[in-house]
Formats: sequence, structure tokens, C-alpha cells
Amino acid sequence: MTATHEPNSHAPTSSTDHASAPIHLRPARAADIPALVPLLLRLKRLNEEFDPLLKVREDAAEQARGILASNLDDPKSLVLAAEGIGADKDKVVGFVRALIRERPFYVPEREGVILDIYLLPLYRRRGVGEYLLREVSHALKEKGAGLVTAEFPAQNEIAVRFYTKRGFRPITAIHARSL
Amino acid sequence: MAESSASPVPSGRSGRRQGPARRDVSERSEDQTIALGRRSVELSGFYQGKIETVPKVPVRSLADFALWYTPGVAAVSKAIEADPDRSFDLTGRWNTVAIVTDGSRVLGLGDIGPRAALPVMEGKALLFKCLGGVDAIPIPVQVSSPDQFIAVVEAMAPAFGGINLEDVASPKCFGILEELQSRLSIPVWHDDQLGTAAATVAGLLNALELTHRSMREIRTVLLGAGAANLVTARLLLGLGHDPHRLTLVDQRGILHAERDDVDELMLRNPWKYRLALRTNGGGRTGDLAAAMKEADVLLAASTPKPDTVRPEHVQSMAPGPIVFALANPVPEIWPDVARSAGAAIVATGRSDFPNQVNNSLVFPAVFRGILDARARSIPDEVVVVAARELARGATRKGLTPNHLLPTMEEPEVFPEVAAAVGDAAVRLGIARHRLTHEEFLDRAITRMSRPARLVRALARARLTPPMPAGGSGSRRNR
Repeated sequence: MTATHEPNSHAPTSSTDHASAPIHLRPARAADIPALVPLLLRLKRLNEEFDPLLKVREDAAEQARGILASNLDDPKSLVLAAEGIGADKDKVVGFVRALIRERPFYVPEREGVILDIYLLPLYRRRGVGEYLLREVSHALKEKGAGLVTAEFPAQNEIAVRFYTKRGFRPITAIHARSL
Repeated sequence: MAESSASPVPSGRSGRRQGPARRDVSERSEDQTIALGRRSVELSGFYQGKIETVPKVPVRSLADFALWYTPGVAAVSKAIEADPDRSFDLTGRWNTVAIVTDGSRVLGLGDIGPRAALPVMEGKALLFKCLGGVDAIPIPVQVSSPDQFIAVVEAMAPAFGGINLEDVASPKCFGILEELQSRLSIPVWHDDQLGTAAATVAGLLNALELTHRSMREIRTVLLGAGAANLVTARLLLGLGHDPHRLTLVDQRGILHAERDDVDELMLRNPWKYRLALRTNGGGRTGDLAAAMKEADVLLAASTPKPDTVRPEHVQSMAPGPIVFALANPVPEIWPDVARSAGAAIVATGRSDFPNQVNNSLVFPAVFRGILDARARSIPDEVVVVAARELARGATRKGLTPNHLLPTMEEPEVFPEVAAAVGDAAVRLGIARHRLTHEEFLDRAITRMSRPARLVRALARARLTPPMPAGGSGSRRNR
């Protein structure tokens, strides 16, 4: 399966426009799925650390494979793969997964939702996360989004700080209790 | 390799022969531990505590209390109110240390709580006094969180010249130590981190010297990633060890930046996480066997479990390797086995084998030095100075594979360590008392030797009752 969705046209394919970031960002392909699944699972397991209601399912890996495959086929989805450079060249060291969501009652009418951002530890704290956020925001805007939102566990203070520092604020709250 | 004359087990050529002999050692040591425990309970009941406060001023008549207490003492209080640092000159603060624990990781006993930790803290106070001439007060505290622990210690700091944290579980001990060090203007020490790491580094420096290795070139495996080894790693990196040749191993294998639990570590144990990133497994992944191949040095400070380190592991190391098996009471590998497997130098945490790596070699002298300097803090530089001076101390009697570190029977070494620590505090600008080396040394010698005279005098005067004969099964001593 080849990704034929539109982000190809605007996702950066050269590393010259982000000279400081030690990664190379490109749209994910079906061939990346085996590398993306463990990264996505790492992120979900990290979420589990924040909240017992985010306990990772036994079949999460299988689910991840299916969801990533359907994301790659869906023009309303966006999956970007971050490749390392140097010794990590051609290795997927991080990814972003996002989608376009309709807002039937509000304007702007379309929102770009960042579902997952994950980077392997050695690529953190080097401005890569910020770069990923910039690039995915740009890509979502090109898909018609008038605002960008990010979903993450409420207890994840690292994420709260990351987004708050970059001008995000809480807009919708999801409260939960077990049944 | 020279055999250990002190080792209770002759190290033979054949590895097969050692099984039963080793069991002997471990059985004997287990029997001994049980006997010592029984006697300790008996004596604790007899003496009902190990330390007491004793006046250090003359009290000739009740009239003298007007000097030592009100009304005279009010003027002393006013002087300190005007200049708080005078509390170090006009009271015993300069020589008084709090031994604080929450009882969360006592000896090998685990989380036994503050009350059960008290006998251990009393014992530590006795060591502080007898080895370092330091007045140490055991303070086990009942707290429910690290923040509460920090608040309690901060609140009691005005009474003390230094704080010794003891037997606090890892990883919370790291955050507690860091926070207290940043808040208080007196040195805060956690012996299980800094004392053990300093003794380990001291032994390693001499082992490198003996085997003609350099810190910059060695490949080192740290087995166990608890309080001691995480600090040892930090000190080694500070001494120029190549992070890419440093491999940390714990129960889950080699610690590296892409290990499955690394995000969990980021949240729960950032100190271990940082080392995972910085060393990245020394370029390796896998288990202990993968880590040990071609390594020059093994520093094992893991949970005591026999045969954690196998002879094959040692055989796979670089020629003439250095093996520190520091788990107590059962080392990760018995010294004779390590030597038969090719280890050039072996150290353990036990006093019945040569080369005992023990915090008692470090903390009395370190505290003597920082208290005499009235130091405001105790940075890693000071810890490294103590380690270097301790290493140098071993060379007085001659450095050999079986005499890597001074023993407690070489008391002349410890005032030298104290003086080196005092010098370092002055050099780093953290000393309230800027004494010369000779002054530090003189004071250390006087203050570290006084308790022995005190103990003898109390015994001679029968103020300390003689030890009662042991109960059934133990030898009578009269």
C-alpha cells in the first residue's frame, strides 16, 4: 500500500529547512508500520503511567497495526515519521499522528487534532518536539484546519507544560469514572 | 595472582572444588550472624541504648547553672540573634549531626519503619562518635511523603552542623538529598549514596593504578542501579570516565536509552533515566553477560544474591580484570571464585576478606573535615577529594592487590582524609572556617582520637558497666 494522501505535498522532505533538528521528517508509509507500532505502544504505556484508566490492552499491538494502516489510507489522517540521522539514518525515531475533525456547531469548522507525538529519549530536549509540532500544525492547516488541538492524559504535566509554553490552553475537558 | 592470606578459603586452581568450600563460608557467616544478633539483643536490653548526652563543661556547683543557663545564657542567645553564624562558635552546633531516617530501607531489612530503625541509627551515632569524634543524634521520623521528610529536616537544621540521611529508599533518596542540599546552608550527606560511592571510587583508583589502567580508557560495568551505583557512575563520569564505555546493568539487563521501561524511568527515577541516556548502555544492549565481555572493571552493588556473577562472566572480561562484589552479606561472586576466573583484583563489602569497601572508611573523616571547616555544603568535588585521599592513604603501607584500601586498623589515614576535605571546602569557598592544612590535621587528630580515651575513662571509672557474660551458648568473658 502506498500512501497517496495529500500531506505528501507539504510535509517537509528535506532536512535543509530544519538544520537544527537532528531528524528527517516525512509522511509515513506502509513499510514504516512495523517500526511505528512499538513507538506508539511506548507512548500508550507512558500514558498508563499517568492514569490507571489508561491501562494498555493486551492486544494493543494488533490494534496499533490496524489503526496505523487505516490512518495511512485516510485523507483525514496524518502520520509523519521522524527518521534519525548519522548512525540512526533510515531508522524511525519518532512519529506524529493527527487527524482532521469536523466541528458541526462551532467555527472554525475544522480542527486538527494531534493524537500522538512520540520521540525516542535520545532525541528529546533538542528542539525536535517543537519542530514536529510546527510541521504537523502546518500540515493540518493545509488540510483545512482552523485550529490545532492536542489530546493527552490530564495528569501528564510534561505535555501540559510543552503545549502551554507554545500558546495552547485547555478548551474541552474529559472527565471519567469507572463503571 | 597472589592468594589472599586472610581469605578463609584457599583458592584452588580448579573451579569445581570450590562449591562445597564456598557453602562453608556462607554457612559459617550465617551462623555467626545469628549468634551476633542474639548477643546484640541481649546487650541492647542490658545497656538500653548505645549513646547518652554528657556535659562538656565544668559544673562545680548549682551556681554555675547561672552561666550555662539563665540568666547568663541570654547574652549568648542575643549574640547569635545578631549573627546566626555564631551558633557554630557558641554552641555545640559545629560538631553536631542529625542522623535522619524514615526507616524505608534499613540495612537489608527493607521498609521496617522509624522505630525499628532506631537501633541502627544509634549504632551509626556510636560510629560517628568513636571514629569521627562527631556528636550525632539519631532521629528516625514518621513521615508520609518525601515533601514531608524534606520539611521536617529543614525545620530541624538550625540545631545541626550537618545532616546525615540514612537508610532512605531509592529512588526517593535522590530527590530528598538534592532538595535538602539546595535548601540548607549546612552539608547534607546520604551515606548509602555518597559514602559507598566514595569508598568504591577510592578502591577503584588504586585498582587502576595497580593494573596500569587509566580512567579515560577503561570499560566499566556497574551491576545494580540503586543509591550507591548511580552516584558511583556520576563520580566516575566526573573523573573523566568515557560515558560510552560505562554500562549499567540492573535486574532488567543493560540500561540503555531505548530500553522498554525508559519512559517509566523518566517519570519515576530521573537520575537513572539521565544515566540511561548519557551512557546508552556503553553501546550495548542485553544481559549481564553481554555487558561483561571485554570489560576492565565490574563494580557490583546489587541486591545480595549468591552467584549473580558467574565465573564465565569474569572469564569473558579483559585480561586481569578488576572485580568489586559489594553486596552484603553475600557478595555477587565469592572472591576465590573471581580470582580463579582470572580477576586480578577483588574487593568485597566484608571485613573477613581483603579489600573491604565500606562507608565507615569515609563518613567519619568526611564529617570531621566538613564540620571543622563549618562547611555550607558538600559538593561532589569534596566527595572525590575524600576518595582520592583515602586511596592515597592505602599507599602508606604499600599498595598490593590485597591491600587496596586502608583498613580501620590504619587510623592515621583518617585525619589526613578529614584535612583534605577541610582544604577542599576552603578551596571551593564553602568553608565558614578557613583553616590551614596543618590546623585541619591537628584538629582532626585531636578530635578523632578523643572518643577512644573517653570510652576507656568511662570504663575505668565503671561509669560504663562492663559487658555482662553472654547467655546460653556464648562464651563467658570473665
